[in-house]
This record gives sequence, C-alpha cells and structure tokens, in this order.
Amino acid sequence: MDILDLLSVVLLIVGAAFFLAGTMGLLRFPDVYTRLHALAKADNLGLGFTVLGLALQAPGVAAGLKLVLVWLLALAASATLSYLIARRAFAKGIVPWKPEEREP
Amino acid sequence: MRSALNNAREYPVKPLIRRAVLFTALWWILAEGNFVAWGVGLVSIMLALATSLILLPPGPSRLSLTGLAGFLGYFLVQSLKGGVQVALMALRPRLDLRPAVVDIPLRLPEGRARVLLAITLNLLPGTLSAGLESRHLRMHVLDERSPVETEVRKTETHIARMLGLPLEAR
Repeated sequence: MDILDLLSVVLLIVGAAFFLAGTMGLLRFPDVYTRLHALAKADNLGLGFTVLGLALQAPGVAAGLKLVLVWLLALAASATLSYLIARRAFAKGIVPWKPEEREP
Repeated sequence: MRSALNNAREYPVKPLIRRAVLFTALWWILAEGNFVAWGVGLVSIMLALATSLILLPPGPSRLSLTGLAGFLGYFLVQSLKGGVQVALMALRPRLDLRPAVVDIPLRLPEGRARVLLAITLNLLPGTLSAGLESRHLRMHVLDERSPVETEVRKTETHIARMLGLPLEAR
C-alpha cells in the first residue's frame, strides 16, 4: 500500500465521517431549518473529501477533474435546494424552533 | 473613432471565445480526455454555447479572474469551517442551538449576484437563506451570537469584486 492509497483511505474516511455527522444532524436537529443547515454544509464536505480521495485514484487528469465537476454540481444543487426549501417553509408559516428559556 | 469601432466589433466576440473555450474544456473533462467522441462533442459545445447566450447574454459586467480566485479561496476556507462547525454541533451529546431569523439589507444590485449570494451563504458557517425580499435577505442562523452581518458583508464584497459590480452604499 503506497502513500497515495493511504491518503485516499484517510480522505474517504473523513468524507464518511462528515456524511455521518450530516445524517446525525438530520435526525437530531429540531426543525426543518436547522436540519437544512446540517445537510447542506456537512454533506458538502462529505462529498468533497470523498471526491478528493477518489480523484487520487483516477486514471488521468480529465477523470480526476470530472470527479471535481460532480462535486461542484452536487454543491450547486444542494445549496439551491436548501434555499428553495427554506423559502417555501417560511412562506407556509413554519415557525423556526427556539430553545426554551432556562433559569439562569 | 478607430478604437471605438474596434471595441464595437470586439465586444460580442470576446465573451463568445471565452465561453467556447470553457465548454470545450468541459467536454474534454466529460469525455475523460478521449478524442473519439469529438463529433458529438462539437455539437454539444455549439448547443451549450447557444443556450448560454440565450440564458445569460453577455452584459457589461464581466468576470474578474483575480476576483474569482479570491472568491473561491474564501469559499473553500469558510465552507470547510461551516461544515466542521455544524458536524460538531450534530455530534455533541447535548445540542447547543440558538437559532434566530435575521433580515439583512443588501448592497448588491438586483439579479443573479443576489441569488449567488443567497445560495453561497447556505454553505458558509451558520447561515441559511430563506428569502430574497426587495432589498433584504432573510436568513436563518444557527447561532444568534455569531457575527452574521460581518460574514454576509464579506461574502458580498467577494461576489461584487468577482462579477465586477458596484456595491451600493448603505
């Protein structure tokens, strides 16, 4: 196993960790808005690190760039979608979750 | 007189060439450097060029390359920060969320620059765009204690520099 393979493995594991964190956020966060934060931002890095890890194994420059292109398109899609979902949620009058006031 | 004529002739050609180069590069990437499919590629490049001219006619504002590099650098660092921050929040045993909704007045001119700002902010730390009003951007923030307005202003400045647009004073 050479150094490039090792680096790939590390990047893929980091990517998987971000996907896991994004999914944890989706399950644990209290409302649609906070969940969108978790999904868009964490999954962006999850896919980013996965793509980097795979690009190191790509057979050529063009194939590597193609993976980066996949990341950019997914990034644009998830950022646009979360804006559209949040806007729709506000238009429907879904009130953002607030923590309950605690005694100081 | 002569330079004005030259400018008039050059004006639509330069963006055309730039876009053609961009689409050719994209095709090269999609075909993974394979030259066998260039017949299809040529047609695709022409169609992409025509579509881009219809959807985004060359206007007075032009992309600045140094501005683009600045924006990309800022975006990469900040989105990394944003992802790490929200990942830690999701994994922490006790959730520590302090969400709030804020309206931020915009300085960018109307149009695609504002849309780009709204969408970019979704990947930056703690901000989620939820609506573009006439002059305001409505945002949901994960932590009301974070300096949201400063972040928006910085992003705004980068986008204005990249697209060669003026920022209105507020």
